[in-house]
Amino acid sequence: MNDLIPYISSSIRDSLASLNFFRAEISLVMGFLVVILSDLFFSKRYPQLSFILTLSTLVLVAYQSSGFLKMVSTPLFGGMIIMDHLAILFKLLFCLASILFVLFIRFNRAFQNHDKGFGDMYSILLAVHLGLNLMAMSANLLMVYLSLEMVSLGSYLMVGYLSAGQRQTEAAMKYALFGAVCSAIMLYGISLLYGFTGTLYLNDPAFLSGLHNIPRMASALALILVFIGIAFKLSLVPLHFWSPDVYEGAPTPVTAFLSTAPKIAGFAVLIKFLEIFYDPESKALSSSILDLNFVLAFLAILSMLLGNFVAIWQNNVKRMLAYSSIGHTGFMLMGLFIFSASGFKAIIFYMTVYVIMNMAAFLIVDEIEEKTGKQYINEYKGLGKKNSLLMISLLIVLVSLTGLPPTVGFTAKFLVFSTALEAYNLSGLPILMIMIITASLSTIVSLFYYFKVPLNAFLRETSGPVQISTRSPKVYMGVFLAFLLLLLIIFPALLEHII
Amino acid sequence: MNLLSVLIFLPIAAALLVVILPSTFQQRFKYIALGVSLIQFILSIYIYTRFNKVLPGINIENEFQLIEKLPWIRLDLGSIGKLEIDYFLGIDGLSIPFLMLTALIMFVATLSSWEIKTNLKAYFSLFLILNTAVMGVFCALDFFLFYIFYELMLLPLYFLIGMWGGARREYAAIKFFLYTLFGSVFMLLVIIGLYFSVLNPATGNHTFNMILMMDPANYIEGSVFSAMAGQSILGISARLLAFIVLFIAFAIKVPIVPLHTWLPDAHVEAPTPVSIILAGLLLKVGGYGILRICFSIFPDSAVQSAWWIGLIGLISILYGALNALAQTDLKRLIAYSSVSHMGFVLLGIASVTTEGLSGAMLQMISHGGLSAMLFFLVGMIYNRVHDREISNFRGLAELMPQFTFFVMIAFFASLGLPGFSAFMAEAFSLIGAFTSQDVNGLLPRWMAIGASLGILLSAAYFLWTLQRMFFGQIRLKGGETWKNQLVDVTIREKFALVPLAMLALLLGIFPSLLFDKMNASVLALVHLITG
Repeated sequence: MNDLIPYISSSIRDSLASLNFFRAEISLVMGFLVVILSDLFFSKRYPQLSFILTLSTLVLVAYQSSGFLKMVSTPLFGGMIIMDHLAILFKLLFCLASILFVLFIRFNRAFQNHDKGFGDMYSILLAVHLGLNLMAMSANLLMVYLSLEMVSLGSYLMVGYLSAGQRQTEAAMKYALFGAVCSAIMLYGISLLYGFTGTLYLNDPAFLSGLHNIPRMASALALILVFIGIAFKLSLVPLHFWSPDVYEGAPTPVTAFLSTAPKIAGFAVLIKFLEIFYDPESKALSSSILDLNFVLAFLAILSMLLGNFVAIWQNNVKRMLAYSSIGHTGFMLMGLFIFSASGFKAIIFYMTVYVIMNMAAFLIVDEIEEKTGKQYINEYKGLGKKNSLLMISLLIVLVSLTGLPPTVGFTAKFLVFSTALEAYNLSGLPILMIMIITASLSTIVSLFYYFKVPLNAFLRETSGPVQISTRSPKVYMGVFLAFLLLLLIIFPALLEHII
Repeated sequence: MNLLSVLIFLPIAAALLVVILPSTFQQRFKYIALGVSLIQFILSIYIYTRFNKVLPGINIENEFQLIEKLPWIRLDLGSIGKLEIDYFLGIDGLSIPFLMLTALIMFVATLSSWEIKTNLKAYFSLFLILNTAVMGVFCALDFFLFYIFYELMLLPLYFLIGMWGGARREYAAIKFFLYTLFGSVFMLLVIIGLYFSVLNPATGNHTFNMILMMDPANYIEGSVFSAMAGQSILGISARLLAFIVLFIAFAIKVPIVPLHTWLPDAHVEAPTPVSIILAGLLLKVGGYGILRICFSIFPDSAVQSAWWIGLIGLISILYGALNALAQTDLKRLIAYSSVSHMGFVLLGIASVTTEGLSGAMLQMISHGGLSAMLFFLVGMIYNRVHDREISNFRGLAELMPQFTFFVMIAFFASLGLPGFSAFMAEAFSLIGAFTSQDVNGLLPRWMAIGASLGILLSAAYFLWTLQRMFFGQIRLKGGETWKNQLVDVTIREKFALVPLAMLALLLGIFPSLLFDKMNASVLALVHLITG
């Protein structure tokens, strides 16, 4: 104990200096507390107070994060977390998703009418958001685990928040059980890694050398165990079983959030792990422990195939979007083969667009479900005739999800394809080519199921079509997001200049 | 603002106007669309008269005319380099005929849209977006921009067929969409591959500039598509593979025989104006793409596969014609005749001779006008009695003399009667295919001989149809009611038919109107391909 005394002052100084960079997270914690208190004491008199507080906290966080946009990589709190350009970009993405989510909940009827009110939801969201931010920045295995758990616990609560009906309870239960098992597996992997290498810091050179000194099977096993935890968050194929049920069962705003923010955070952690195995000379991943290129490509192929093909047979819109998001995750994996800080631009671009389009899709689907009770694709018949504005917005969003011009989904898809082809060029691995071809084919398949919606809405008739009032905030939001998708293909510079 | 941009974006502006105007004005929308296509036509005539025919263009950037180049997307992708995507428009001898054709066909299609009665707002906005896309495809010189316009054509067409089509419209619309998307998704991969292989010597960035892609000197040493490196993907030469992928993408549009099955369905189910656009313009996008992209960027692979392309052309000619003979539905017959006539385009292109390429270009323009006319004529009958089975009509000549007159012009022009454009076009394509053996040895003579059999077959099916439907005693399935409904050509219809008939005659008598403007480009293209 006494040996450590000389270090105390320096570590305190380090922590204090780090706090300066930690403003956004401090705001989140403050916001969390204030929202809880305001919800406890003022929710009767000012029902909208917690909403306004949450929204302003998130805007503040976005502003504070963007202040560090141009910063060079800086270790904080003794290297527990590392703040760099990429992490800030991730944090901004989370802000985008959270802000849309907050607005979404605010105008969702199920949440509005629920006895519990939505104050608690906001505080859960802020806590989850803190976890997401930490996930994006963590550079230490314990930090990774803690932040991941923080996000997961919050997500379980979100799914079961309304506890409306058996289906939702089942979804929450399934999610919690599956998540708990996966995180236990991950923790086991982390403990093995610590045992093998003697360090918890991912960027410590001892980490990699330690791994190489262990028999290959053992270190590969430890890594795979950790990857299982991450793959659960990403809902990659062998670990995707929870996602369709949870997405279908959870309240729609929560589904929209879960399919974007935590997934992106999962990617942030995955990138952190892959960074260790990055070989600057060949600009690619290389590892003697595990053929990472093969594993990643294989997972990507599986996810794209399963996600897209199973989506064809779905009739429930939310379930279809859930499967399609599995396919999108597989597609995003293709952007991870080129490794350099600026090389992630393609994937960040894709994620930004993905957040916008996924949120928009769920928003509009939710609006339709709320106003007409229609949840199945074949019930959408004739909707386009009466509600052209809303349905055209949905069409634009779906076109963007397919990745066709004239929407920015195409640009995003194009960029990811570019990095994947470049990776193939550099490495010449046949599996990468197979992955790229699979991605192309799954684009065609995805057209088939996404277009079942406009097919029903516009091409088919029904007697007595339902009219949905356009005077609803959610309609405005959906239309605005769809418009954004069109705008961004003409002026991608709006995004580029941040990335 | 450059003239080409006006030409491309005028319809979009009009589409916005249509969207904004309240539905009470919906009877006026067609006049907006008509006005747009008229202005486009006047503009394209103006561009045509000002066009400098000495400048070949093709693979030399500053020989293109009306160039407009603005930086569009500049994303720094780190290790991959900076993305250089331009808003880059320009025309040469290959594109100028298509600009005029597009304006003309759009004009005719708008006139034929009078038959559309439901949901006019949606119809005309989609129609105008389609107009923009087609114009854009013919002007774009940046591959990325080209691709965007190319894909932009799909969505409006899907809805135009799907919402205003016939009984099996859903099936036809999605089939069309999936077929074309299948081709274009793989095209995207080739575009990206080309992008990595080509450097812009001026800036040192990778580029999507098509013209720079045509110069072997701009390829990075050892890159995938560099001719020197001779790389292979999955065992096939990378350049050949890329050529085949691009060729299939465009050939689906043309369409070539094994990949043509979307066409009869789409045509039969589509409403008349959409059939006109499909046959008059969309098929030409395929032919234009083969010339501008496949043959220009991969000339070596083009020469390598010329024999196969010629064979595909021949098969399309014969198979399309034989199928047309067997049809009982008039619209289906014309759809198959399109397959047959577009085969001449492929044959002409595959010969890589000046005659062959000129013939192919002329055939595209001529067929654009004639197929539009044929579909318009079928639409007239269908509109009047909602039937188009050949066997249900007889002796129409007596009932509708003027109509029969136009039908005869269209039929005789299509079957290649001298004096009409199709004769010139098919003759030149055949001459090209025939001389190819001596000039460059790409196509054997029997292909030309076989193709001339196609002309014979087309005479057979057109004349037989003429005889069955128009001559003899009046005998209609619908009896007296049909007799009253089958009124002769109206003024509006004459406005559409006369320009098309004029085009066929004009190009048949003075093909030099077209040959003059594109000759320099065709020579340059032949030189580029055969070296």
